[in-house]
Amino acid sequence: MSVFSADPTLAPYLALILFGFLPSEIWRGLAVVVARRIDENSELFLFVRSVATVLLVGVVVKIVLLPSRELAVAPVWARGGALAVAAAGFFATRRSVFAAIVAGEAVVILSVWWCMG
Amino acid sequence: MSDADAAQAPGFDWSWRWFLEGVRQALTGPAFYVSISLMGVGSLARAAGFPVGAAVLSTILVWAGPGQLLFFGAVIAKTAPPAIALAVSLSSVRLLPMCLSVLPMLREKRTPLPVLFAAAHFIAVTVWAESLRRLPDIERPVRLPFFFGLATTCLTLTSFSTALGYWLMGSLPPPLGAGMMMLSPIYFLATTARSARSGADWLAMLFGAVLAPVMVTFVGGGFDLLALALVGGGGAWFAGYLARRTS
Repeated sequence: MSVFSADPTLAPYLALILFGFLPSEIWRGLAVVVARRIDENSELFLFVRSVATVLLVGVVVKIVLLPSRELAVAPVWARGGALAVAAAGFFATRRSVFAAIVAGEAVVILSVWWCMG
Repeated sequence: MSDADAAQAPGFDWSWRWFLEGVRQALTGPAFYVSISLMGVGSLARAAGFPVGAAVLSTILVWAGPGQLLFFGAVIAKTAPPAIALAVSLSSVRLLPMCLSVLPMLREKRTPLPVLFAAAHFIAVTVWAESLRRLPDIERPVRLPFFFGLATTCLTLTSFSTALGYWLMGSLPPPLGAGMMMLSPIYFLATTARSARSGADWLAMLFGAVLAPVMVTFVGGGFDLLALALVGGGGAWFAGYLARRTS
């Protein structure tokens, strides 16, 4: 990041704005411009909703299959098992988000504990 | 910030009662889930050598977990700045369909453009999923104050937790660290399932679950999510379209 070496205290903030904030905010701005022409009940709206839903599941799968350093201490069966048990808790409680979180978290935390001996 | 702007905007109804209702509903769960699950961003920012202020600012400005993780992760890996910008941008393409599926629910004919830009800034996975779930049950004129109450509460609490994660993360025992990182996947899935209203929504989740591992394995290079979105999202929409046609 030699471009920013002139002022080292501001450099991290400038880098964040140029290479983090602007590249992601551009999509939100674009959405505002396009959304003015989309009706809440149109097929395009329903299509976009499906795309967003699939993307979200995709992000979850990536987090679980390609884990960060902290999550990688849980073996893949524990990560997958946590999602399965969370789903079971969710449907067993008539769609409670909280129940899903408690059930899934218990699996991850206990299995890492158990793996550590 | 944006809620104050919104209050002063001409031709725009503001209800503090519904703003507070948004705050209250955020505090029943979503604000805590997103703030705990983004604590990892703070720890990563610290590992990347950024000051705590920049870590918090990344939450306020970027407000998209994967983009923030990518940004600091890429800095740690000494990636060239233009490549960082490209990777962050690719990971944030999903904000476009998310904003597009929420904004038409918030918007009224006379909603000023700056208010919509402010609203769009708050839309990321958490606020998107909670909006899909809660907005349809709310009268249109008070959706915006409710939305801003919900969204600003999530963002504020997460700003604090980013700073907390900056100082805390390295010292957490491994089971708790893993549990923290697993919180957002579970929460994202559960809250999206909670907001599912039609067969097409469930089909979209199923397609995502089946196709995502395939795309991650065979496409890669930052384009896997894009390919997944078009194939899986398109397929789920088309199945729903056919079902609506024949019924």
